Amino acid sequence: MDFGFSINRPRAVDLDKNDLSVSRKALMEMPEWQACIGCGGCTATCTAGNLTQFNFRKVHTLVRRGDYQGAYEEMNKCMLCGKCRLVCPRGINTRGVVMMIKRLLSEY
Amino acid sequence: MENIGTEILHYYDHFVVPFTVGVIVLFTVVIYKYVRWFVKLPGADKHLVRKGLFTRSTLGACVEVVSESLLHRKIFKVNPKLGYMHMSLAFGWFLLIAVGWVEASMHLTGIVPLHAHVFYKFFADPNADYGVSGQVLANVMDLLLLFVLSGVSLAWFKRMRSRAMGMKRATKHTAGDRIALFALWFIFPVRLLAESATSGLKGMESFLTGNIGHWMVSVFGVYNIEQFSGVMWWTYSVLLAVFFVSMPFSRYMHIFTEIPLIFLRRYRLRSTERHKTYDHFQIEACSRCGICIDPCQLQADAGITNVQSVYFLRDRRYHKLSGAVAENCFMCGRCETKCPVGIELNTLRLNSRTKMFDVPADGRYAYVRGMDTSKGEGKVGFFAGCMTLLNPKTLRAMEAIFKAAGEDVWWADKDGGVCCGRPLKLAGEVSAAAKMMEFNKSLFEKHNITTLVTSCPICLRVFREEYDLKGIEILHHSQYILRLMEQGRLSMEESDGRLFTYHDPCELGRGSGIYDEPRAVINAVGRLAEVSQNREEAFCCGSGLANISIDDRGQNKISAALADRFAETGAEEVVTACPLCKKAIARNTPLPVADIAEIVSARLGGRQQA
Repeated sequence: MDFGFSINRPRAVDLDKNDLSVSRKALMEMPEWQACIGCGGCTATCTAGNLTQFNFRKVHTLVRRGDYQGAYEEMNKCMLCGKCRLVCPRGINTRGVVMMIKRLLSEY
Repeated sequence: MENIGTEILHYYDHFVVPFTVGVIVLFTVVIYKYVRWFVKLPGADKHLVRKGLFTRSTLGACVEVVSESLLHRKIFKVNPKLGYMHMSLAFGWFLLIAVGWVEASMHLTGIVPLHAHVFYKFFADPNADYGVSGQVLANVMDLLLLFVLSGVSLAWFKRMRSRAMGMKRATKHTAGDRIALFALWFIFPVRLLAESATSGLKGMESFLTGNIGHWMVSVFGVYNIEQFSGVMWWTYSVLLAVFFVSMPFSRYMHIFTEIPLIFLRRYRLRSTERHKTYDHFQIEACSRCGICIDPCQLQADAGITNVQSVYFLRDRRYHKLSGAVAENCFMCGRCETKCPVGIELNTLRLNSRTKMFDVPADGRYAYVRGMDTSKGEGKVGFFAGCMTLLNPKTLRAMEAIFKAAGEDVWWADKDGGVCCGRPLKLAGEVSAAAKMMEFNKSLFEKHNITTLVTSCPICLRVFREEYDLKGIEILHHSQYILRLMEQGRLSMEESDGRLFTYHDPCELGRGSGIYDEPRAVINAVGRLAEVSQNREEAFCCGSGLANISIDDRGQNKISAALADRFAETGAEEVVTACPLCKKAIARNTPLPVADIAEIVSARLGGRQQA
């Protein structure tokens, strides 16, 4: 049955097993990212997210948790328009986060 | 052969060796660089040079070389003292060489080697009588030396107190630059001492070196001055050699490079989003004068002092450019308008980013293919852009204005659309940006619009510069609104005389040259009080999309610094014409902030406003 929306399949992030090196490096480079409260404002306003399944909050949260699979490809859907930065209640340089994730994860 | 040998040796002393070596190194390196850059220019650029060579462009370039490379007219505009300093050094030294050449050619006999022109006083025959012309030339040379020395003393003074010379901050120089600068500082004082000593010993008359020389001999005696003069000529020659050898590798490369740059620019060569060897002409024409530092708000307000254009060009030239420096710039263009050499600072920064960050974009944004969320059938298209969609008040105001004017509108992206591509391009990912541009371009063409209105100057600029929309007129909404007013299609309420002040968005003003239309619209609905620095000198709001690395605190500091400027005007409301500026200004300014469309829609006759 089609409800017009779907929910994500449940998944577990195992912090003990995940390789957190890239995530730690990213947070060192951009400490402000730690201020993220995961409100999802970035995703709600996202130009690309409005047109496709791209979910910025999901990607950057998983990257912080050490789950890098497919993050680079997902991030390449971003148009870098900067709306997320304007709505972020924590004043995080979200465009900087996008660029950094892409640079750090291009080989994953 | 033997004859020529003795003639050349007639004008020889060991001290000329360092100078001669310096000159040979200098010209070898400079010519090697220029030839290499020119040969590697793209064919289209070479064609432009061939096309322009025998036109008035060449004449114009010659005039510009005199007025900029020698007289430094543009630096005079920044500050007269600073201009005088540069002019006395450049023009004064040039005249010293030129007049010195004439003097030596007239007075020295036989084959005169290069160094004999430069060290003329040393090789001049004390017993010869050159008549009135000789006396005039000797005094003219002294006057020119005095002229250059006045510039040198100003340069010393500037190092100690740059503020007095109209610069709050001077450039922090590299070690190599300091060595060259040190040599330059002492070349002319040492020349004065060397020439004076020799004049005193040989009994040559002139008002400066002659008199000082006679005084030196009378005080210290012939023997001491003979020793001293030998040391001074050696020092002079070594200083010249140090300066010449360091020149092609230091900032002083600008002395020569500005000349080919002026010619190439007159032939309409321009830097592009991709690197080409023309960029080297621009980069090495930077004199690191540091005039770009003061206008930079990152320096003045946010305390970021290593990213200004002078440092960016320096790092790029020596292959030390880091991504952090390349990225940390709003590309607001304030420095570019002030650059006395006219270097395309924004374009160079952009193509540095392209070189670092552009990746093949195959398959990117495949998800937008075939999508069309547009609405309406009109011939006038309205592209809100991402940022206007975050400013619903502006969007509603535009709706009201279109309705009041009876315009049939095609709404390109009211329900969400694809970004114009400029933000991604400014980040250096030009290949990916091109995908978005292709999408939007085909969308505009598919709907057969004749006019494209956008309320975002960022989109406006990329539509104008990159989209190549044939048969579609591209307008900023301030231009469009003004046109509606002039055509009498908007019935407005009587002006209520409210006092507005206007903030020039970078991308609209310096970027697209649109200054007057928004002002005309404001004057039609109220009164306008200008901020102290506006138009080409307008400040950036601190939210420019080109800066990918600045944090929130830095942005906030820059936007906060604007608040006082608006308050000074006594205005009741701040108006701007860019959705991003509006958000940034509203953060720190207690006054109400409105987009230009809002103040118009609020005053539409018959209460049609949103």
